[in-house]
Amino acid sequence: MSRKLHFGLHPYGVGGPGQDGLWKDPRIAKNASIDIGYYIEQAQIAERGLFDAFFIVDSQFINADYPAHYLNRLEPLTLLSAVATHTKHIGLVATMSSTYNSPFNLARRVLSLDHISGGRAGWNVVTSFDSQVSKNFGLDDHLDYGTRYDRALEFVNVARGLWESYEDDAFPADLQSGVFLDRDKLHALNHVGTHLKVAGPLNLSRSPQGEPVIFQSGMSEEGRDLGARTAEGIFSHAGTLEEGQAYYADVKQRAALLGRNPDHIVILPHGGPVVAETDAKAHARAREIYEEDNDFERKLGFLGRAFGAYDFSQHDLDDPFPDLTHLTERGGRRGAEIVSDAQANGWTLRQTVEATSAYKPSPFIGSPETVADSIQKWFDARAIDGLNLAFRVTEELEYFIDSVIPILQQRGLYRTEYESTTLRGNLGIPIPQNPHAGAGHGESSASVRAVDLAGV
Amino acid sequence: MEQRKLRVGTVLMGVGGPGQHNTWLDPEIPTDASVDIWWYIARAQEAEAAKLDFIFIADSQFITADSPNHYLSRLEPLTLLSAVAVHTRHIGLVGTLTTSYNEPFNLARRLASLDHISGGRAAWNVVTSGDAGTAGNYSRDEHYDYETRYGRGLESVRVAQGLWDSDEPDAFPRDTERGVFFDRTKQHALNHKGEFFSVAGPLNLERMPQGQPVIFQAGDSPEGRELGAEIGEVIFTFQPTIEAAIAFRTEMRERAERKGRNPDHILIAPGISAILAESDEQARARQDAIFGAKSFDRALAELGRPFGWHDFSQYELDAPFPDLPDEIGSNSFRSHAGAIKKLARDNKLTLREVVQAQIDSGRSPFVGSPQTVADQIQKWFEAGAFDAVNFFGTTPQDYELFLGVVVPILRERGVVRSDYMAKTLRGNLGLPIPENRYTAARGRSVDRAPDAEMAAIH
Repeated sequence: MSRKLHFGLHPYGVGGPGQDGLWKDPRIAKNASIDIGYYIEQAQIAERGLFDAFFIVDSQFINADYPAHYLNRLEPLTLLSAVATHTKHIGLVATMSSTYNSPFNLARRVLSLDHISGGRAGWNVVTSFDSQVSKNFGLDDHLDYGTRYDRALEFVNVARGLWESYEDDAFPADLQSGVFLDRDKLHALNHVGTHLKVAGPLNLSRSPQGEPVIFQSGMSEEGRDLGARTAEGIFSHAGTLEEGQAYYADVKQRAALLGRNPDHIVILPHGGPVVAETDAKAHARAREIYEEDNDFERKLGFLGRAFGAYDFSQHDLDDPFPDLTHLTERGGRRGAEIVSDAQANGWTLRQTVEATSAYKPSPFIGSPETVADSIQKWFDARAIDGLNLAFRVTEELEYFIDSVIPILQQRGLYRTEYESTTLRGNLGIPIPQNPHAGAGHGESSASVRAVDLAGV
Repeated sequence: MEQRKLRVGTVLMGVGGPGQHNTWLDPEIPTDASVDIWWYIARAQEAEAAKLDFIFIADSQFITADSPNHYLSRLEPLTLLSAVAVHTRHIGLVGTLTTSYNEPFNLARRLASLDHISGGRAAWNVVTSGDAGTAGNYSRDEHYDYETRYGRGLESVRVAQGLWDSDEPDAFPRDTERGVFFDRTKQHALNHKGEFFSVAGPLNLERMPQGQPVIFQAGDSPEGRELGAEIGEVIFTFQPTIEAAIAFRTEMRERAERKGRNPDHILIAPGISAILAESDEQARARQDAIFGAKSFDRALAELGRPFGWHDFSQYELDAPFPDLPDEIGSNSFRSHAGAIKKLARDNKLTLREVVQAQIDSGRSPFVGSPQTVADQIQKWFEAGAFDAVNFFGTTPQDYELFLGVVVPILRERGVVRSDYMAKTLRGNLGLPIPENRYTAARGRSVDRAPDAEMAAIH
């Protein structure tokens, strides 16, 4: 079967990072980020475009300098559960932190969504970028990078172990024999690991797709390793075709070395296409968007995020960029990159803000034909398996679906109808074999899995 | 003065909760009811058509193969209720969530999300987890002891309430003319540091349509009653007789009043398992059939739950009820376990007699034709035994008779309100919207300078 593109949609409501002018656009509902009707509509439109997934990003720390959408947004699983019964085919992927959740709660909630949606749930595993988030969860300091990723790996394996608590046929519910549960098909996990100790069993049966799809985001060494070990879908960033290819090849190779089929990881970098009737109009629109958002004060404020919500307003804009390396150790890796760029180029604070918010046009700008060409080029060059798309306003999402999608379909690169009613089915990712099935009455599973992984 | 009205909710137990071992055998109940969202949506819509105040989702997070069928495999309450929210308009959505194994930031955020999604219909039934085995699912060797559980319970609710006040009602002007989306002076970090939690905040979600979700609370121990009197707005309980119910309601109102609360803002809502049929005689026969068909073995296994899933099958059935050491069950459902031990001791019962007594304790005071059950409910309500009833239905017939006949009779008599009075659950229950603490403080400040505040807006 020929390879096909996969698309996700990740909505940003009134405006995500850098989109400081978006909320003023009269086409945006001013409460979009907390209006369930907005999300249901976005998901339904994406479903009309035969997208694989509706993808909700998340974080749990804010201050007043954070993007409008971050200041005030719905919790991802609560949100997606409400979307689930108003859609039929599109996958529903929730971002949740493995650092500030318990695996039992998280596994249960995601599998509940999987039941509610008829097998369309996914979990985007993150370890939390904002170092200050620890203070919302009783910790003075964010867990360090290594610990976060180590915990994440164990966490995912525990969640999967819990999802295997029941075998597929554990509930005969046979009125004749009066047998509701076949108790031999219920298994306690009894996991005891470095970070977690979880007995189980989970109080929820397998879903129509067996268990939720694991997504992962995170471009660092640790993130790539976690992705190669656990992910079935990856939400990444690729600024250029070459960057995309390098990342794609690296992750697929890592997975292969671990004994996994590399086709069972679908790599979907962020894509923010700007499409208009002509290339010229599209580039003008992209520039217009940049200008709408170009608010120096807001950008200065949000620069602090990569440094644990550091307040840059205390510095003179024309002094050299302060050495804040010590503030970049526990959060995401972005802060360290900024420090090193600023030092290498001798930037002032003002120049750093300007450089980090310079106009960087998306690789997917142009007429429908041009954008379809770029997507095909990236896809054929194995930089992507598809894109996780974001659009500024609903009209632009609809224009993409009505203009670019048909071209990709004509070229045989994109489905003309959903293959399946489950997310696994549409992504072409197999249902993980429940290790208990047919294996007699054993216990454990995360530990078995860990041994498998260590053995390769 | 406005006439006091009975509020009505219903507990949804899918294929059958404690004691309902044979419920799933009813061919009218889908065998996957407990995990089928469309089953819940249909029940909620029926309840809404009967203008009920709320649906109630009970919960627990520890099972063994002996757990009730509904417990074995069920949807997580808030994920469930969020899906129900977008298929209903008026009915309240009560989710049970434990304070022992959740972080207050996550809890507060999820409940606030449900309140926004439902337009102000969310409620939180605060529990501390009775099953000691739950600890093993959350990286703990032992369940928290009673005192710790209730200490955490109270502090969790207080932290959540603090987080719900993060944004004042007018924190988001969203004013394109002035270019002001967010007024940073109206957002407040909580910076809570307490005995069990330290939580900085602010919450990343604005004030919800009903200010805060309604707080339900369940727990009959002295610690549970204290917590309920402190933070509960609706108290979920079980009361076997009208006298016990009156005494409980009187006590809870007094406890609340001693804490400086208005006793009318704490509603007592016992669960009732009405057994209905066209005639009284048929209803009694139905009750006998239900209890006659109960599985003794399942009841014997389930007896273990209040005792931390102690295995009673190891004892001789016709010997006196075993003399269990105090530590068995001390961290589980302590009041329930204590009551069983006392019953056995006082009456010198055998294990078999105790199991039978447990089966029979499920017998309901509300048995009869819809007319009779409506009479009983009205009598209890007017005697001050409760402010609300939380109806446990099982079969579609129960729902048809309760929602379709009993409730309309009570409505006809003016016992139940004639229609929804508000869009929010608080509005329908007659509970006040808690004022935002920072807005309240501003209101109290005489020398406030609005102009200066406006200038401070980013």
